Amino acid sequence: MLKIKDLKVSVEGKEILRGINLDIKPGEIHAIMGPNGSGKSTLSHVLAGKDEYEVDSGSIEFCGEDLLDMEIDERAIAGIFLAFQYPVEIPGVSNANFLKSMVNSVRKARGEEEMNAMEMLKYLRAKTKLVELDQALLKRSLNEGFSGGEKKRNEMLQMAVLEPKLGILDETDSGLDIDALRIVANAVNQLRTKDRSFLIVTHYQRLLDYIVPDYVHVLYNGQIVKTGDKNLALELEKRGYDWIKEEVDGVSA
Amino acid sequence: MATAIDNKSAEIVAKYRILFDLKEQQLNGQKSHPLQAIRQQAIERLESMGFPARKDEDYKYTYVTKIAKQSFSEGTGSIIGENVVKAASFGDMDAFQLVFVNGVLNQELSNFDNQMDGLTISDLKTAYDNADTQALVENALTNELGLNAFVALNTALSHGGTFIHVSKGTAVDKPIHLTNITVSGGSAIMTSPQILVVAEESSEVSVIETYSAINDGTYFTNALSRIMVGKNAHVHHYKLQNESLAAFQINNTIAIQERDSTYSSYVLDLGGKTVRNNLSSHLQSSGTNTNLYGVYLAKGDQHIDNQSFIDHAHPHCESNELYKGIIDDKGRGVFNGKVNVRQDAQKTNAFQQNSSLVLSNTAQMDSKPQLEIFADDVKCSHGATIGQMDETSIYYLRTRGMNLEQARSMLQFAFVAEVLENFQLESVKEKALAMMKEKLG
Repeated sequence: MLKIKDLKVSVEGKEILRGINLDIKPGEIHAIMGPNGSGKSTLSHVLAGKDEYEVDSGSIEFCGEDLLDMEIDERAIAGIFLAFQYPVEIPGVSNANFLKSMVNSVRKARGEEEMNAMEMLKYLRAKTKLVELDQALLKRSLNEGFSGGEKKRNEMLQMAVLEPKLGILDETDSGLDIDALRIVANAVNQLRTKDRSFLIVTHYQRLLDYIVPDYVHVLYNGQIVKTGDKNLALELEKRGYDWIKEEVDGVSA
Repeated sequence: MATAIDNKSAEIVAKYRILFDLKEQQLNGQKSHPLQAIRQQAIERLESMGFPARKDEDYKYTYVTKIAKQSFSEGTGSIIGENVVKAASFGDMDAFQLVFVNGVLNQELSNFDNQMDGLTISDLKTAYDNADTQALVENALTNELGLNAFVALNTALSHGGTFIHVSKGTAVDKPIHLTNITVSGGSAIMTSPQILVVAEESSEVSVIETYSAINDGTYFTNALSRIMVGKNAHVHHYKLQNESLAAFQINNTIAIQERDSTYSSYVLDLGGKTVRNNLSSHLQSSGTNTNLYGVYLAKGDQHIDNQSFIDHAHPHCESNELYKGIIDDKGRGVFNGKVNVRQDAQKTNAFQQNSSLVLSNTAQMDSKPQLEIFADDVKCSHGATIGQMDETSIYYLRTRGMNLEQARSMLQFAFVAEVLENFQLESVKEKALAMMKEKLG
């Protein structure tokens, strides 16, 4: 589904990703862990298409297409969804209207039929239940005045209604209390299908207690330096990141 | 008393004296009516003060005399279809409707008969001829005549006018909609809509002015509204301006507020080539509430200037002002909000905010919040922001599948929609939103 080959990315002349290789197959869940500043968020946003990143070399193939050749919205329509670490507050746009126009513009672009008001209502109600979000939040302005947990659940709601092929969670778990974390994990588990894949970017192992990944990668200094299964996450939780840094940098403490 | 006005200004004033004399000749028997004496007083006032000069600080960004300099003829009624009136109305909202075509009241298209008890709608002459309201009309029309040249000009040239009187304790159950439609495209005409609203003690009324045009021709609307808000009364005053893009509008609104009264102004400016609004609220006593909400969208070479003035002279008064707008292409916006808090005006709450989005390199916005406080126990704040669209928000929306155009228009719409949330009449809000959406594309 997603094939990243030797991806090198810089921001304002500074190299952040220094040769990433990653292969995600349909239905797989990959976790990317790593210390702060290792390039985790950069990778998420490069996949979503943020402008300020300069791809110096390498390639990204998504479902057989050249992802780097696509506009931000074309990527969303093709099936990439990025849950933001810091969801943007947009006063004046009601959450419900936002969800409706989002769903219909994507459906239209995907060549599917647009939903009428009744279908939309039912659809949104079901998805809202999935992420245990208070219906009242649909009437409020998008993310404005939402708590941290509400914002992240709202991201999960958007993911649920857009039904992407690949869901990317950019540190969705950071700062969440255990209840909100469970809800986020539950949403991912329910959306997990044999065709839908996830890339879970996280700093903490805790989320992976609830979402069991097929692969765990450690990103450090812009490169994937270690890959394993869920046990690698547990080991990182126990030992921290220093032993990885030592291994890679070749210096002992 | 007045210093001699310069030659240029005198020349311009002379043109309007000719218009004035022409109108007077057509009056025949009405020439001796006392209202004509007030008009006479107004034209003389204009002759002594002249039009604002370019160096005049209040007109620094908008050289209104350039408008006055052009030649306009008097507007006469024209035949328009009911569909035009319908398009300018608010869906199926029930209202007392007065339709003015080229500034002349069209009885057939209007519908303000069967007025309710406690409500009188008439022209100003009828109101003057009524012994009960004569003094009221006379005082109101001569008050603030020297505020600026356009107040005097309106008073001098306006015939007919609209008088709305709401008796003590009356809550008017339907809004009053003054529908101004100009048929443009022929020779440039000038209209002088004049409104006098008197809301007596503890009454409540909503007045809506709309301005629209058939064809995209040049004309000049010089409007004047006087709103007298009695003790504990509440006036909601809406203005939805969608003039032709080649038209000029100067709008003077003077609200006079008695004790514990509320005046709320809701303004949407979408049309016009050059638009200048002078909105002022004069607080006569304590306990008043003043809400000024405004939205402006200037594209192409439109120029929209909003001036407001709230004079806090008494304690325990509250004012709340929120103006937001979007300037694109070669458009230009001006905001100048003066709030005075005099020494006696303790416990004043005054809030003012002006925010603009400037979308192109050739667009320009000048914002000047002026808060002058002489009292020491007050809560006042003001702010002005001028910015561009937030790139992070655009990116966020695009990751949800919206294209650049959709994302931009959604954000622009949201930016100004915040102001419209304050519109009390749902139908007016809906209509204003739809008009805005159409303009933003």
